[in-house]
Amino acid sequence: MLQKREKVLLLRTFQGRTLRIVREHYLRPCVPCHSPLCPQPAACSHDGKLLSSDVTHYVIPDWKVVQDYLEILEFPELKGIIFMQTACQAVQHQRGRRQYNKLRNLLKDARHDCILFANEFQQCCYLPRERGESMEKWQTRSIYNAAVWYYHHCQDRMPIVMVTEDEEAIQQYGSETEGVFVITFKNYLDNFWPDLKAAHELCDSILQSRRERENESQESHGKEYPEHLPLEVLEAGIKSGRYIQGILNVNKHRAQIEAFVRLQGASSKDSDLVSDILIHGMKARNRSIHGDVVVVELLPKNEWKGRTVALCENDCDDKASGESPSEPMPTGRVVGILQKNWRDYVVTFPSKEEVQSQGKNAQKILVTPWDYRIPKIRISTQQAETLQDFRVVVRIDSWESTSVYPNGHFMCEMPVNTPESPWKVSPEEEQKRKDLRKSHLVFSIDPKGCEDVDDTLSVRTLNNGNLELGVHIADVTHFVAPNSYIDIEARTRATTYYLADRRYDMLPSVLSADLCSLLGGVDRYAVSIMWELDKASYEIKKVWYGRTIIRSAYKLFYEAAQELLDGNLSVVDDIPEFKDLDEKSRQAKLEELVWAIGKLTDIARHVRAKRDGCGALELEGVEVCVQLDDKKNIHDLIPKQPLEVHETVAECMILANHWVAKKIWESFPHQALLRQHPPPHQEFFSELRECAKAKGFFIDTRSNKTLADSLDNANDPHDPIVNRLLRSMATQAMSNALYFSTGSCAEEEFHHYGLALDKYTHFTSPIRRYSDIVVHRLLMAAISKDKKMEIKGNLFSNKDLEELCRHINNRNQAAQHSQKQSTELFQCMYFKDKDPATEERCISDGVIYSIRTNGVLLFIPRFGIKGAAYLKNKDGLVISCGPDSCSEWKPGSLQRFQNKITSTTTDGESVTFHLFDHVTVRISIQASRCHSDTIRLEIISNKPYKIPNTELIHQSSPLLKSELVKEVTKSVEEAQLAQEVKVNIIQEEYQEYRQTKGRSLYTLLEEIRDLALLDVSNNYGI
Amino acid sequence: MAGLELLSDQGYRVDGRRAGELRKIQARMGVFAQADGSAYIEQGNTKALAVVYGPHEIRGSRARALPDRALVNCQYSSATFSTGERKRRPHGDRKSCEMGLQLRQTFEAAILTQLHPRSQIDIYVQVLQADGGTYAACVNAATLAVLDAGIPMRDFVCACSAGFVDGTALADLSHVEEAAGGPQLALALLPASGQIALLEMDARLHEDHLERVLEAAAQAARDVHTLLDRVVRQHRAELRGGHRLVLGAGFPAADPAHLHVGERHGLHHGGGAVCGRRPCPGFCPGLRRPPQEVGGSASGLA
Repeated sequence: MLQKREKVLLLRTFQGRTLRIVREHYLRPCVPCHSPLCPQPAACSHDGKLLSSDVTHYVIPDWKVVQDYLEILEFPELKGIIFMQTACQAVQHQRGRRQYNKLRNLLKDARHDCILFANEFQQCCYLPRERGESMEKWQTRSIYNAAVWYYHHCQDRMPIVMVTEDEEAIQQYGSETEGVFVITFKNYLDNFWPDLKAAHELCDSILQSRRERENESQESHGKEYPEHLPLEVLEAGIKSGRYIQGILNVNKHRAQIEAFVRLQGASSKDSDLVSDILIHGMKARNRSIHGDVVVVELLPKNEWKGRTVALCENDCDDKASGESPSEPMPTGRVVGILQKNWRDYVVTFPSKEEVQSQGKNAQKILVTPWDYRIPKIRISTQQAETLQDFRVVVRIDSWESTSVYPNGHFMCEMPVNTPESPWKVSPEEEQKRKDLRKSHLVFSIDPKGCEDVDDTLSVRTLNNGNLELGVHIADVTHFVAPNSYIDIEARTRATTYYLADRRYDMLPSVLSADLCSLLGGVDRYAVSIMWELDKASYEIKKVWYGRTIIRSAYKLFYEAAQELLDGNLSVVDDIPEFKDLDEKSRQAKLEELVWAIGKLTDIARHVRAKRDGCGALELEGVEVCVQLDDKKNIHDLIPKQPLEVHETVAECMILANHWVAKKIWESFPHQALLRQHPPPHQEFFSELRECAKAKGFFIDTRSNKTLADSLDNANDPHDPIVNRLLRSMATQAMSNALYFSTGSCAEEEFHHYGLALDKYTHFTSPIRRYSDIVVHRLLMAAISKDKKMEIKGNLFSNKDLEELCRHINNRNQAAQHSQKQSTELFQCMYFKDKDPATEERCISDGVIYSIRTNGVLLFIPRFGIKGAAYLKNKDGLVISCGPDSCSEWKPGSLQRFQNKITSTTTDGESVTFHLFDHVTVRISIQASRCHSDTIRLEIISNKPYKIPNTELIHQSSPLLKSELVKEVTKSVEEAQLAQEVKVNIIQEEYQEYRQTKGRSLYTLLEEIRDLALLDVSNNYGI
Repeated sequence: MAGLELLSDQGYRVDGRRAGELRKIQARMGVFAQADGSAYIEQGNTKALAVVYGPHEIRGSRARALPDRALVNCQYSSATFSTGERKRRPHGDRKSCEMGLQLRQTFEAAILTQLHPRSQIDIYVQVLQADGGTYAACVNAATLAVLDAGIPMRDFVCACSAGFVDGTALADLSHVEEAAGGPQLALALLPASGQIALLEMDARLHEDHLERVLEAAAQAARDVHTLLDRVVRQHRAELRGGHRLVLGAGFPAADPAHLHVGERHGLHHGGGAVCGRRPCPGFCPGLRRPPQEVGGSASGLA
């Protein structure tokens, strides 16, 4: 007779509601016990296998034991196992079908002495689950109850051992019933099967792995991080002041522990927080990554922590530092991320051993980003082994709250050059390229400290007596495949940004500063152009373009090269390549080098002269070099000293660019990227002409030739500054040079006004400019076209190229703009600290170059500053100069003439300033709350300022003739992006500056970007 | 419920029954005084209430009247609270209409309609809790109600469902087993003659297995008949003995066939005699078959 019971189950539907389900449960008096000891075999109606009768005991595993130790229970040596239905169901529900099927097969297998007892359908064994009783407890209770029943059913003739992992159950039931023993599984194996080695080993390993799992889950409870709050909650929280919004900045040196949230805008005003908010530990950081805009909740004050002061390694994890931190600062935790700043990251694969220690699940690999501040990223890849020695670019896809690390995927690989796995010239490339390593003396001349050397030079005498000039450019396109991720990124950046003290690279540094950079003493791929020149006339006889392998012998800097050129060999000590050589070979090598530099200069002069004949212009741009001392404080501002070698190198580059332009235009007349410089509008020259007239010069601006000639003539022997100023004005009047696609312009428009060349392009700086990369590809395609080879990859069509040119032009303008602003910023900062009243340096010599109604525009050669000085101040007072020529403000009036301005006081004193007059000015800083600070000039005397180093300026004046030809930089339209970026930087700098007087200005900028000192004049390549 | 083991290796179903075993059946007749006949049945957790009116004159349009036999009008409904998720089930939805038609078909085959030409018999069935086999429960409840109303029938109509899992036919499917989506067969049987009043089959089943499933369903229906027979006999006995039990005491769980007979039943019976409008039942279960010991049957459920 069946008995009906009801079981109430609470199930969760797919919609997430709970559903109360009532299920019937029928109990019967007789359930087959499968025991030979059964007193009523008829009632139990056994069919199927029985337990063997020669066992000493029956063993009943608890549900947990069945789940965890099924492998051991599968040992045929273990006999008399009774699986309770409760345990089997637990396996089915919690371990899934596979494990359950294993159990079923075990039960079916006649060789295994085990049976299933359907205890839940036996009316005496079934125990309903009590209210509030946990599933596990109920299962254990049911199994024990069934074990007891079974024992009595067999008329107490067979002892029963129930094995369980539940200590409580052992205590509770251990001695409850005689004949039914409750022990742990380990204990059971030890006592009953001491000889079964395999089982013991297996048991140990299972225990071990289970313990590990438990540890893991104890630490994390499944979820590694709290969930982020929904956006509405965050917004409401920010408004109400409960949460604070800011940008997360991870401490580079303690990336695991410390991150700071820099407050953004309005939020800081309400919550009178002055400092940043510390985010301590990865957990509080809650999956945000460096640069994210996050929402932070402040912790109560007693949980605030201090910034760690102790030095520590980056690798150490949370627990490592126990040192007392500095005084507590506001500490918070991230509750949400408003804007994710995930980008692509360069990562390194773990070494083989590490991969193995990460476990069998080798499809998932934790890779370490190059940037300390980015957490390790988990990626899935099949090619872990092959990618072992590569750096790869990965992108973060997601970061679940259940995961310690973000998930990412592999995007592309990057070449690696480390001491462990040095980059080598590959043999295939060696075959394809012309090897110049042995035959040519190749060297580079760059500014001091330059890392991205993209051009080298060589010159030698051929067997027939002719000269061979070579220009070797870094083969960037070899490393940057078209449309690869690097390529796309470089395309968007378009150019490397040079600021006064740093640069923002276009290419990743492994390429720009290492593999592509033509450093001294290492093998590098290059694209070369070699001309055969007539030995006497330097006429170009032949030209060769192609890919090469070079090894640059010397990495010279301009000053050293100039010294060598001037015959001053003492500079040799500054050239590292000569250091380890013995005297003799040193002498020989030095001679060779000096000859080469001399020859180069000779050639350059010739080429230059030819170009001058066509009307090439020499233009003037004010360039300032910012010198920083060790503490990164501004040490001095120094205007560029132009050297002849500058011109030599520039001339070679112009030559190379010109020839490449001719080549690619011939090969691809409709889709070559060239650079044009349209002639300027005549009306822009009017100011220049007026100024020149003041000094009695006439400037003919009808063509570039006449302009160049008249500028050369407009030289005041007493004042070299006049010529510089005139040239600079001419520069101002010029329009900008632009890239364009040959398909969209008429051929006569290709002309380059400034350089007086019919075709020109940019080829020589592929590391710094994307246009050069495009030109490199065009050149390579042109070469393969000549060889009747198939052109690899698609070239840009005219339309696409035009689009690209527009983009690059925009970016270039932005770059120039930011460069200019950065220079201005540094000029400001230089004077910021100095007290204009006392500091010697704030008083300088100035030249008037323009007259306005209420003042004059001044140029200060010492610092390269241009600015306005008022002759009438805000109170209406005018300047007057007493007999000691010191100025003072007095009531009076100003009168402006064509090229002079006269200030007359009411007393009748008057002072007149002429164009190009030298005056003494005091430089000070006008602070502005809303804008960046500006430099203010004040005329303190109408006599030239006498300082010892004026002589220095005069000394350099003879070199003016050979001044570096400068790309035309008219003040540009404000390029939106650069503008914004720039403004931000300025504001931040000033904030930092005001807050921490005496501390370095650069700490902040350093966090943004590694400081890279680089000379700005580097882009001579026009 | 995917992956639920409907039939274990040991031959147990989810709720502990074996393949051929029925769920527990409890029933009583004459639960409402105002109706001519009524019955309540529980098959496991499926609970149904049936009420019968008639035979009476055609209500509404007289055109519907049949000249040679009575019109059997069946209406099915299920309570909003009958399933786990509360759901509004308006009258006249597809499912109810279909069930009504099936019931009508079933009872037109069983009731001796030709005895009552131009009259109408109303059978109303409501399912209070649905846990699988609603059709079967409705038929069984209606049979008892019709018997209670004293309307002559050829035989009991006993219905039961059967399914097919892992090569085994399962009798009397519960909701869990139905929801698993296997083939399902509903059978209404006139047990004495073995005639089939209605046979319905959902899902696909290989022809080879049909025989076995049909046999399982038929056997289950015969078992149901045994039980219903006992219910009727006990009901009759109680009426004769004038037993009066108080309603609302609940079912004694140990005895499924135990009957609770409302006090109105005596009146009802007497009323039946008094009103005399009802023809004498042409069929008396007690006379046709000797009482059977249900509990001893191997497959029966007592």
